[in-house]
Formats: sequence, structure tokens, C-alpha cells
Amino acid sequence: MSTDIASLLHQRTGPLTRELLLEPGGFGLGRVPTVRKPDAVTTTVCGYCSTGCSLDVHLQNGQAVSLTPTSAYPVNLGMACPKGWEALTVLGAEDRATKPLLRNASGRLEPVDWSTALETFVSRFRRIQTQHGNESVAFLSTGQIPTEEMALLGTLAKFGMGMVHGDGNTRQCMATSVVAYKQAFGFDAPPYTYADFEESDAIILVGSNLCIAHPILWERIARNHRNPEIVVIDPRMTETAMQSTQHLPLYPKSDLALFYGIARILIENGWIDRDYIEAHTNGFKAYAEYVQKYTLDVVARETRLEPQAIERLARTIHERERVSFWWTMGVNQSYQGVRTAQAIINLALMTGNIGRPGTGANSITGQCNAMGSRLFSNTASLLGGRDFANEAHRNSVAEILGIDVRQIPTHAGFTYPEIMEGILRGKIKGLWVICTNPAHSWINQKQCHDILDRLDFLVVQDMYHSTETARRAHLVLPAAAWGEKEGTLINSERRIGVVKKVSRAPGQALSDFSIFRLVAEAWGCGKMFARWDSPAAVFEIMKELSRGMPCDFSGIEDYRMIEQQGGIQWPYARVEGLGSRVEGQAGNKEGLLNDSASPRASSLSLGPGPSSLDPSLFPRQERRLFEDGRYYHADGRARFLSEDPRPLSEAPSEKYPFILLTGRGSASQWHTQTRTKKSAVLRRLYPEHPYVEVNPVDAQKLGLGPQSWVTVESQRGRLRARVFLTHAVKQGQVFVPMHYEAANQLTDAVFDPYSKQPSYKACAVRLEP
Amino acid sequence: MTTSLLERLLADQQDLSAVERFAQAHENGSIPAQAKHYQRLLPTSLPAVGQQYAFEVDLDRCSGCKACVTACHSLNGLDDTETWRDVGLLIGGTATKPVMQHVTTACHHCLEPACMTACPVNAYEKNPLTGIVKHLDDQCFGCQYCVLACPYDVPKYHSGKGIVRKCDMCSDRLSAGEAPACVQSCPNEAIAIRIVDIRQVIEDSEAAVFLPAAPEPQITHPTTTYKTNRVFPRNLLPADYHSVNPQQPHWPLIVMLVLTQLSVGAFIVGGILDLFLEGPSQSAFRPVQTIGALAFGLLALGASVFHLGRPQYAFRAVLGLRHSWLSREIVSFGGFAAAACLFAAVALKSDCSTQLLRVLGGAVALLGVAGVFCSIMIYVFTQREFWSFGQTATKFVLTSAVLGIAATWITLWLIGTDSNSGSSRELMDRAGRDLARALIAAAAMKLAFEVIFLRHLLGHRHAPLKRSALLMRGALSNQMLARLTCGALGGVVMPLMLLQPLDGADADVRVRQGAIVGLLFLACLAGELLERYIFFAAVAAPRMPGALRT
Repeated sequence: MSTDIASLLHQRTGPLTRELLLEPGGFGLGRVPTVRKPDAVTTTVCGYCSTGCSLDVHLQNGQAVSLTPTSAYPVNLGMACPKGWEALTVLGAEDRATKPLLRNASGRLEPVDWSTALETFVSRFRRIQTQHGNESVAFLSTGQIPTEEMALLGTLAKFGMGMVHGDGNTRQCMATSVVAYKQAFGFDAPPYTYADFEESDAIILVGSNLCIAHPILWERIARNHRNPEIVVIDPRMTETAMQSTQHLPLYPKSDLALFYGIARILIENGWIDRDYIEAHTNGFKAYAEYVQKYTLDVVARETRLEPQAIERLARTIHERERVSFWWTMGVNQSYQGVRTAQAIINLALMTGNIGRPGTGANSITGQCNAMGSRLFSNTASLLGGRDFANEAHRNSVAEILGIDVRQIPTHAGFTYPEIMEGILRGKIKGLWVICTNPAHSWINQKQCHDILDRLDFLVVQDMYHSTETARRAHLVLPAAAWGEKEGTLINSERRIGVVKKVSRAPGQALSDFSIFRLVAEAWGCGKMFARWDSPAAVFEIMKELSRGMPCDFSGIEDYRMIEQQGGIQWPYARVEGLGSRVEGQAGNKEGLLNDSASPRASSLSLGPGPSSLDPSLFPRQERRLFEDGRYYHADGRARFLSEDPRPLSEAPSEKYPFILLTGRGSASQWHTQTRTKKSAVLRRLYPEHPYVEVNPVDAQKLGLGPQSWVTVESQRGRLRARVFLTHAVKQGQVFVPMHYEAANQLTDAVFDPYSKQPSYKACAVRLEP
Repeated sequence: MTTSLLERLLADQQDLSAVERFAQAHENGSIPAQAKHYQRLLPTSLPAVGQQYAFEVDLDRCSGCKACVTACHSLNGLDDTETWRDVGLLIGGTATKPVMQHVTTACHHCLEPACMTACPVNAYEKNPLTGIVKHLDDQCFGCQYCVLACPYDVPKYHSGKGIVRKCDMCSDRLSAGEAPACVQSCPNEAIAIRIVDIRQVIEDSEAAVFLPAAPEPQITHPTTTYKTNRVFPRNLLPADYHSVNPQQPHWPLIVMLVLTQLSVGAFIVGGILDLFLEGPSQSAFRPVQTIGALAFGLLALGASVFHLGRPQYAFRAVLGLRHSWLSREIVSFGGFAAAACLFAAVALKSDCSTQLLRVLGGAVALLGVAGVFCSIMIYVFTQREFWSFGQTATKFVLTSAVLGIAATWITLWLIGTDSNSGSSRELMDRAGRDLARALIAAAAMKLAFEVIFLRHLLGHRHAPLKRSALLMRGALSNQMLARLTCGALGGVVMPLMLLQPLDGADADVRVRQGAIVGLLFLACLAGELLERYIFFAAVAAPRMPGALRT
């Protein structure tokens, strides 16, 4: 009794305390909130960026209740960025699409059943195709869904529904690297493994703000114990630049001249690897001659850098034993991105900094499955990284899929910007958008809206009915999200990882895989996909499609093996007859390579299957390409490629005196924020409204105070933003994060001529108080 | 065909058994797999005497990813919007050497936790061994005084639960050898738990070695160590330095403060007037004034209960009497109310002894003054400049004066209506004149005091008082304007009108006088409520450097 009264007066524990009680979670998790103690745990790969972190999903009765990063996974070592930590939260948002929505006579989207949705889908697209030809219906896919779904979509759309044009939002992030690698190496093959971050002596980051864009890759740099030189080449003083030992704040888009100038210094001083160049490359002589004109004076003028800084970088490349070059969107999203990426590749090639630990010319990808899209979306390249124009490639795909080769188009079709232009010109009347949000993300947004509004029939398949694009659709198909479906993703370092269904999709939302199957049935081409009845079955088909290609992963038994191995990087081939596996590709069936160049077996593992294999025979967890110096061109050599730099596509003028830089604002925001803005915690981690970084000197001239509102205006549009005064941006430049919807009202629709990737990073604007 | 496939796929979509097809890679391991990554970030022994656990943040390793915030949220099972850790940003430097420094921050587990001292119900405990400052959720009654007292904005009020919650350094995890959520989730190993010497913490606090642009460490002696090899430029400022946002106004507190001060003021003004009265005027005046003052006092105490997240535990407030000004305020006003009730009961008896009433009245006044003093000290304790003793005491005391006089005017008018005796009218004329002059003096002084505060707008530094002034001119300008209008109307214009002789028939004069007195009171009351609203909303709360806000 007295204790009761005492505790009434001073209550040390009780129901409120118990709400936050922790207890050992088991499964190697450590303490977890008691209310979320799991009865089972499974792993899945994160569905945001290309880092490809593994997450332990805590389950109660099969349903995910929480997650923690996987401690043992070779990618993230038990860490995740805020997006990953909050990945489950955004599944429960109120604006999830739960039923198909069809625009009715009065112009409103109203719920319909799946049968009506599918009938409408088929009849409207068929009618357009009948009236305007097969080319009049196109699709826009994504880098955010599993490879199996991409393969099914690409195959269904192009071989089943007769579409000719289809592309993905990967055009916005990776196309430049794809083309650069294809031209230089003979195949789209990022050569590195993440261990290279830890094993490098000099890490040169170009247009890459890892701390914000890929925090878990920055983690790997932070764990480099070789006291590396960290060089950041970026007009802005980013978080990553802050952590660098050398920051080169060059003039926007002057990077091409910089790398040519660095090459000249290296060549002039004999700081190059002649043996490597001789044995493994083509075109060096011409390149060496070409770069002669990029003298220090010229480069210093173009880049507006101190000559000493340029020389210091060249010396660093020379002096350090293992130099790795890394680039992201600062290079890719440029009107001369391909040549810039290749100028970086050239530096790695001429110094022999490739194929060794801690080296490489390494493109860091954007989306979680951009790499899967590059191989299997069946858009720019034919399934398995093949070429639509190559008859042998078409034949082998037809054979593997058991279809008539005539169903395979003989060219790749339009790229994303060409599709947009096709709509503008009335060539394309119907569009199927899957898991992407062009109405927010496409360059020159007002024009994009105008283009989308011209469509006779726009279908948007998305997990939310509220995206800027879904709101413009005639038909919205409700999709299950990451975490509600299965398949595999391929990360930046070519690692295949498994995603799993750990949560129930709301209402009648279906996985994209199921939606594609229903469309195939409704379209009348269901028979073609008889074998494609589950993601696992499609994985088997993809293994077949990969066989003999550089990306060969036919040695992977199944999803379980991927999970057990902590993800498996391609290549990992199975050699027929022997039952053995090769950490390389198996054979060379389709003439992509000459005989001398294959297979590239770094080590062999023999045995009938993974379950009975000696663990030491499993693939090594971190593997890089080109250890033998042989590339995928027919002659086995890499190529030096170059071209004159061009001036800024929209130089600052008297009327628009500032260069607008765009990029990621925080690690808690993802792209158009359809997902990340659904987490209350993530919302607390970034500014709610748009802001613009302005140099204090410019601000003073314009009379702009800190936190004041300003209109940022380009020839195409305007946005209101708060002024954030910082020396991080140079005078004459401003920065706006891309996540805010209005940012792309400003950007200018200019593209790289080879990759067709939009040049988001620099256009001219003015500031009006 | 399609329909059956559709049904099958819809059913499949809801089937979560697929996961079971995979091996559950994890064994039923009780040793956390993550331990190998965080082991070196934890102390290897318990703190000795004169030591305690503390966060250590390596600023050179904090890259601003904010994973710690989400991990803390998730691993501690916090509610949707709840976070116990924040990441701020310091910016500065020059054109050639710009600086951008992210700063992760949570509870500093201070040596002198202001939250603990402030808490009226002893819901905070500082563990004598580990030094961890832990909040007892079930003991908390949701007064939020700790939220105001902590210079680092650490305790977070959870309105749904009616309590505050905060970081406890994951003490459960630490005691089991596991790392706190933030420590185990930082990709760059920027957060560690270390053992610090209490003497060293005090020395560092004295020398203000804590973190640039953070609140001064002398107040609470925060134990977190921010280490760096960089030399920070002198112009380092928080990214949110220039963002000025009104704070929560706390309406129940506004009403409570203003009405308690009214009540105390009315008792005192009434008591003074009482001294000069005699006979029928006294017997007419005393009960009305007393009941009026008492009613407002009780109303105030009623309003204060609405401020508590869990008012059913209000009685626990006695626990903190030895250290908490809030406890003292509650007890003082409780005593004031009780004494005032007694006083009223005695005063209403026709044959009460004047001697007894004088003693009782003195006690009421004394307890009331003590209560108001405690009210003042509650805010002074927070060390916010806008709530300094000078600012707070001037406002609270003058509120007592203004509203005490205004309320007395009502009494005078009421008894004038009740009895048509000449003495009442004479009382109104004589005392009324003095009261009107006193009111004008008090109100004018108060208004001048508040207007003069706007001089801080001229300050070059974006100091706390300038922030308050900026808010009064900006986001709170409407409230400010209304406050000054009401104050001038009720405190100056209306009393001036009362000083003018009113011509006409008696009854007519009474009505007009009533209208003036009523308006005077209401305007004064509204003005004081608005002043108190601004008192809360315009305060610049100290906090750790914040991130950019838009």
C-alpha cells in the first residue's frame, strides 16, 4: 500500500516507460524496441540508390515491422543512409495508389476495377497503333524496379505489343557512362569494386558529392587507411569537397579542358605507363598529339583554376601508386558528358590505373537498378547488353526466348528526349510511364508538361497516385512498391542483390511484374510469356541471355545463392559440361569479342552446385574487371577518344548573369521525392521550401539578405526560393537542389549528342529580389 | 483467362510466405553482428569516481548524412515525427576557404542538467555512476518546463502522450555492452561514447571550449566533446542563424500568468484602498473586490491545469520544491488561493474583526507576491535574454498594477450601482481619480518599456534580443500592434475619459461610466494577454546550431 502511494507520487516505471522498452532482438540484431521484436529476419537490398546496401528486415508474422542495415554485407558494413532507414515508412503513405484510376468524361480520375483498366489500356493503345502505326505508342521505364520486371516490360512492349520506342529514366542519370564505356571498353562495364575506395592512394572525385548522394560510399572512403589524397573536382564547395585534401572549384563544364590539360602534363613529363598503353590500348598517339594544345595557360584560363592546383593534381596522379577516378552526375548530366567521361578514362588508361586494386575509371551510378536497366530493359540495348542492329544478337535472343526473330526491331528506337520530341511532333500519341515522374524530373519542365498534355492516352503505373505525372494521366495503374515484391537489382559495382516481398501492398496494387503479365494476357500475347511466370523464372531466362556476354552471370544458381554470398558481381559464368563456374564470362558466342579476349577467368570454382560447394570456391566478394588488361573491343584494346570542348550551352549574359548549378540537396531526399517526402522524419532533415545558394558578394550587389525570398528566373521559367548565403558557390554561380518541383522549370533542354543525356547542371538565370 | 490470372495475382500479392523460401541467414544470435563495427567506439570500462559517460563527436568525420537521426528514431521505436538527435550546420570562412561543418547533436548529459533542476516532479535522474540524465516517462506530468529550461532544445514534448521524452544515451544498450543507436549507425564512426573527467568538463565549460555558436556551456556543463583538427574561422555561424520563427505561445500559461497577476494586483490595490475606507463604503467595497479578485485567481489556477499534459498528476508538483521554481510557484499560488478563500469567507461575515482581516489580507498579499516572484523566476531561470529578471519582473509587476487597478475600477462602479448612497459616489469620485492617475502611470510605463525594447532592432549583431525585436516587427507585428492599441486604450485613453467630469442625469452618467469602465477593463486585460503572448512567442530560444530552414 505504502509502495503504491509512493509510486503514485514518484513513479519510476509504468506503461509509458514500457512503450520505449528495448529487449534483445535475437538474429544478431542487438536490442530492439520490444513492440517490434521480430519473429523472423530476412535480408533485402535497398531500393533507392545504386550503392545497393543490404537491409535486415525484421518480420512479425511475415510482415515487415522494422529494419536495420545488414552488418555482414560487403557493401554497407551495417550502415545505411536516412532513406534506407526509413524505407518501410513510405510504404504506408496515404496517397498510395490502391485501385486503377481512369479519367472520366468530366476529366476526373475515378477508381475502376482491374478488368476495366486492362481493357481500356489495350483498346486505347491498340486504337492509337491502328490509326498511327506501331511507332505511335511508346513507354518510359525506370531504374527503380527489379531487373526481372524490366526484362518483362521491355520484352512485352517491344516483342509482344510491337512498340518500337521505349526508354528509361536512366537516360537522365547513366546514359553518358554507358556510351563512354561502350566506346572506350567495348562494353558498358564499370570496372571497379567498392573495396577500391579503401585500397586507393588517390581518390579523384569528379562532379560527385558522395557525402550527400552516396553516403555509404563515402563510408568506404572514410575506412581507407592508406592516408589517401582525396581530390574533389566540383564548382561548388560540397560536403565532399569539405572533406577533400584538394578541391578544384573549376568553372562549370570546363572539366573536359582540365582533363586534357592534365593528360598533357602527364605525357610531357613522361608520367605515363608506356607498357600498359602499348599492350592494351589504341589511339594513344593521336590523343597525345591532340592534347598538346591544352597548355597550362589555356587550361587555367578555361577552368579559372590556379595553375599550381592543376599541376598539383597531375603530380598527385603521377606520384600515387593507386589512383582511382570516380564520377557521377556532374559529368554525366552534361552536353559533353561522354567525352568528359572518356577524358577521365583516358587518364586511367595512360597511367595504367585500371585493373589493379584501388584504381579504375569508375562511374558511380544513380538509381538502385540503373545497372539492371542498362543490361535488360531492352531499350537502348537488346536484352543482355546486346545490339538491336546486330543480326547475330537478334538471332540468339530469338532463340533463347523462343520467338520469331522478326518480332525483334532492328534498331534501338527513340531515346527519352526523342520520345518527348516525338510526342511534340505528333508522332507518338500514346505513352506508358512506369515508375518514373517526368512531369517533375524532365528538363525544361513547362515544355514537358505541354508535351505530356498532348498525348491521346497517358498511362502511369506508380505506387502513388499523387505524383506530378500520375495527376496528368488518363489511366493510373496501382503498383506494389519496393518491399512488396521480389526480384534482383544490380548495383554500381555490378553486384546482383535480391529484393523481397516483406510487406503487403495496399488495396489492389499489384507488383509491376504482375501488371506486365496481366497486360500481356489482355493484349493477347500471353503465350509468349508462358515461361515468365515468376521473377525467379525470369531470372533463369536472364541467366541464359547473359551467357557468353561480358555480363555473364549464368553461374549463379538462384536467389538463395545470391543472398548467401552477400550479392554476386557479374561476371560469374557457368561453363557447360564441367559444372564449374568462372569469375568471368563463359565463351564468346556472339562475336562481341575476338577469341583472344575470352574468357576472362580470374579464378575457377569447380563443383556441381552451391549447396555442396566448398565455401572457398564461391566467388570472391570483391572483384574488379580488366585485371588482365583485355577489353571488350574485338582487338581486346581500350580506346582513347577525344573531341574539342564546347562552350557552355547557355552562357551567362547581361540579362541572365548567373550560372545555375543543380544537384542533390540532402541525403534524405530522393529524386522527385514521391517517396522520401512521405516520411515525417526525413522531412525534418531538409529545408521544406526551395532555397538557392548565393555567394555573399553577389547577394550584397543585389541587396539580398540572408533568408530573404528571391525569384530565380531563366528564359524558361522561374521559382521562388529562400536565399542561403554561402561562399560554397562562386561568384556568378547559384545552386538549387533538384528535389523541389520548380527546379526543372529553369533547366534548359540540351543534351549530350552521343548519350542524349540531359544537361541539368548548368544554365543561365537571374535573381530578382 | 485474364480474370482468373488477375485473381491469382491479387491473392499472390497479399501472400508474404515468399520470404520463407529463403534461408533465414541469421541464426538466433544474441551477440549483435554489428558489434565488430562499433566495439572501438565504446569505453572498455565503467566510469570511475569523478568521471561519467559522454558523447564524443569527431567533427572531421561528420559528413552530414544524418543517418544517426533516423537510426535513433528507428532503433528506439519513436513515434512518427519524433527525433532525439539533430544535425545542424555551421557555415563561414572566406571566398577561398569556405567552411561547412555539419554537427550531430543530442542530449549532452550535462553535469548540471537544467532540465532536472527545473522539473517540478523529479522526473529526471542523473545516474551517479554513468552520469546519464534519464527521463522517467511515467513520472512526467507534461509541464514542459524542462523544454524551456534546456539551453540545447533537447527534451521533446509529445502532445499525444502528454509527456516529454528524450535521449538516454541508449542506457539499456550501453549497460549490455551494445552501442547507442547513433553510435552504431554512423557510417563514418563520428560518434563515440567516451569516459570524461568531470573536472575536465568544468574546466572546458569555464573556458567555453564546447562548440562555436552553441549556447554557453557554463549554464549546464554539457559533457559532449566536439573534437576537430580543423581551425574554425571566426565567422562561423549556424545555417539557421538568420531564420527567426515565433515560438509556441502556450495559451494556458498566458491566461494563468495574466490572471494570477490580476488577482494578486486586485487584492493588493483593494487592500490599500481598504485602508482609507470606512463605514458603509468599506463594507460595500470589500466583499465585491475580494470575490472578484478571488474569482480571477481561481480562474487562473484552473487555466494552468490545461497546460499540463497529464493534469491528474498535478499533485506531484510538490516534489520539486527544493529546486524547481515551478514547484514553488504552484505551491505559492496554491497557498495564495487558500488564503484568499479564507479571507473572502471571513470578509463576507458582517461582524468580522478588522484585526483578523488585516492579518489575513497581509498573508494573501504576501503569498500572492511570492507567487508572482516565483513566476518571474521560472522564466529568469531559463537564462533567455528576453526573459531576463529586468524584462520579466517589470512586465509581471506592472501587469499586476495595471490589471489590479482596472479590476478595482470595476468594483467601484459595481458598488456605485448597488447603493445609491452618497458615500459610494463620493468614493468613486475621490478614489477613482487617484486610481485613474495610477493606472495611466502604470500603463504608460509598461507600454513605454515594451516600445523601447524595439531599440534592439538597431543592433548590428543578430543577438537574441534583436531576434525578439525582429519578430515583433515581423511575424508578430499584428499582435504587437493590437497589444499597443489595447494597452493605450485601456490604460491611457479610457482613464483620461474617466478623469473628465461627465455631465447629465445621474442614471445616464452611470451608464456611460459603466461603458467606459467596462471597456477600460477589457482593453487592459486584452492588452496584457497579448503582451504575454508576445512574451512567449517572441523569445529567442537558445539551441544547438541548426540546419538551414526555409
